[in-house]
Amino acid sequence: MAEDYAIKFDHVSKIYTLKSKKGKKKTKKRFYALHDVSFEIPKGEVVGILGTNGSGKSTMSTVLAGISEANEGKMYVNGEQALIAINTGLDMQLTGLENIELKGALLGLRKHEIDKITEGVIEFAEIGDFLYQPVKKYSSGMKSRLGFSINLCLDPDILIVDEALSVGDRAFAKKCMKRMTDLKEQGKTIVFISHSLNQVRNFCDTAIWLEGGELQMYGPIETVADCYSTYVEGLNNLSKKRKKILQDRKFERRTLKEDNRSLFERLFN
Amino acid sequence: MIKSVRYVLDENFNNLYRIYSIAKYDLLSEMRESNLGAFWNFAHPLIQILTYWFVFGLLFNRKGVDGFGYIEWMIAGMCVWFYINPCITKGCNAIYTRKNVVTKMKFPVSILPATVCLQELFNHVCILSIVFIVEIAKGARPCIYWLELLWYMPLAFIFATSLSMLTSVLNMLARDVRKMILACMRLLLYMTPILWSINRVAEWPVVTIIMKANPIYYIVCGYRDAFLYHRGLWPYRHQFIAYIVITLVLFVAGSCLMNRFKKMIIDLI
Repeated sequence: MAEDYAIKFDHVSKIYTLKSKKGKKKTKKRFYALHDVSFEIPKGEVVGILGTNGSGKSTMSTVLAGISEANEGKMYVNGEQALIAINTGLDMQLTGLENIELKGALLGLRKHEIDKITEGVIEFAEIGDFLYQPVKKYSSGMKSRLGFSINLCLDPDILIVDEALSVGDRAFAKKCMKRMTDLKEQGKTIVFISHSLNQVRNFCDTAIWLEGGELQMYGPIETVADCYSTYVEGLNNLSKKRKKILQDRKFERRTLKEDNRSLFERLFN
Repeated sequence: MIKSVRYVLDENFNNLYRIYSIAKYDLLSEMRESNLGAFWNFAHPLIQILTYWFVFGLLFNRKGVDGFGYIEWMIAGMCVWFYINPCITKGCNAIYTRKNVVTKMKFPVSILPATVCLQELFNHVCILSIVFIVEIAKGARPCIYWLELLWYMPLAFIFATSLSMLTSVLNMLARDVRKMILACMRLLLYMTPILWSINRVAEWPVVTIIMKANPIYYIVCGYRDAFLYHRGLWPYRHQFIAYIVITLVLFVAGSCLMNRFKKMIIDLI
């Protein structure tokens, strides 16, 4: 079964250090952003990641993309992964065309590869004559379209999309979805992170539900989405006080004991 | 240790086009910010040179050094400082200013110091053209020794990159590093025999040796030799050894830190 997974998480944990001040004593708490998450995504699957705010979705996406490394456990990746980041790497002073080149270079493309995708990006982003205008003159929708198009014209094996489709108008979102569906049909693995339950339902095959940094459920999209929406509704119906207690309890569970390690240990661990 | 060095070298040499593009578009974007653009690349150092010349050449009425007029002697060394100074101050910030790129995509962090130094190299060439004009106006004639610049310029680049490699990572660990470096820059300028001749400390042999071991002073000497002294590379061999040792130490230390923290940099922002 060596080659049939795209991403495998093996008891992955990600820990952040929090500073807290109680009276005069300064203490350092360690906080689990992800706690003991294990799963295996098969190749060619489209996975949605669901979860409330602060449940570790974004941390998960940076770990998945290989930007940050897990503190405990191991992640195995089969192929090359890319995080779709919309507005990063766009320089306000440069023109659209120059930005395509710059962002292409930032993403590690060679000159001839950039020349090859430029045409496609221009066509997909629909920015027309604004191509030779500095990006600072663009509307925000235009900016996102440009950034998104550059990302989509890349050809990674594993795509990680984090809240990216909330940009642009309906027509563009539809176009993006179509493009993603094309990629899906090409057999790419796509990890789709969104708050929009509808989008996830329509697009994904399976889903991961994260809650409080822990893996709550991983299975076919319908089951997970149903459970998740019942949970969210249940949460909304709770009284304020109940909610607070629940939140505190969750937070307590995610924090580790005081950080007693010396500075040296912390630096080199 | 060897693994770290190999990793950094690998990453830099595999991403030459990326380094070039980032430097190029950064420069472009900086020029677009002002109306006069590239004019400031010339005007800024020119005004500074005039200031130093006014204070030291006119007010303090410094006599020439070793039979050369003060202005042409000073400017030949000063242009090195105009290269090293921004390299150090911007270099230690190299990773931090790119935080939105580093946190949002998989990015080879260790190329960032080189991009800054490459960018400054362009400014340096602009300044050099001013130096050429001054030297010719003061009676120097083009000769074979001017080719020594092709030896010293890459050495300056390598030194600046090695130093930035170290300081940029340290700056990520604690933002105080940059503050400290900014505070020390003026000190470094006066501690390097750029505005004053090293003959002034000739009575203290220990001080002379320490001054001569300064890699920046080695490059300053080289530039002066190219424009004025015409002695060739050989008389400076001891300083060259000091340069090599110090630069190697900086580079190895920088590489080790870079390798150690490459996955943690996102957590340090």
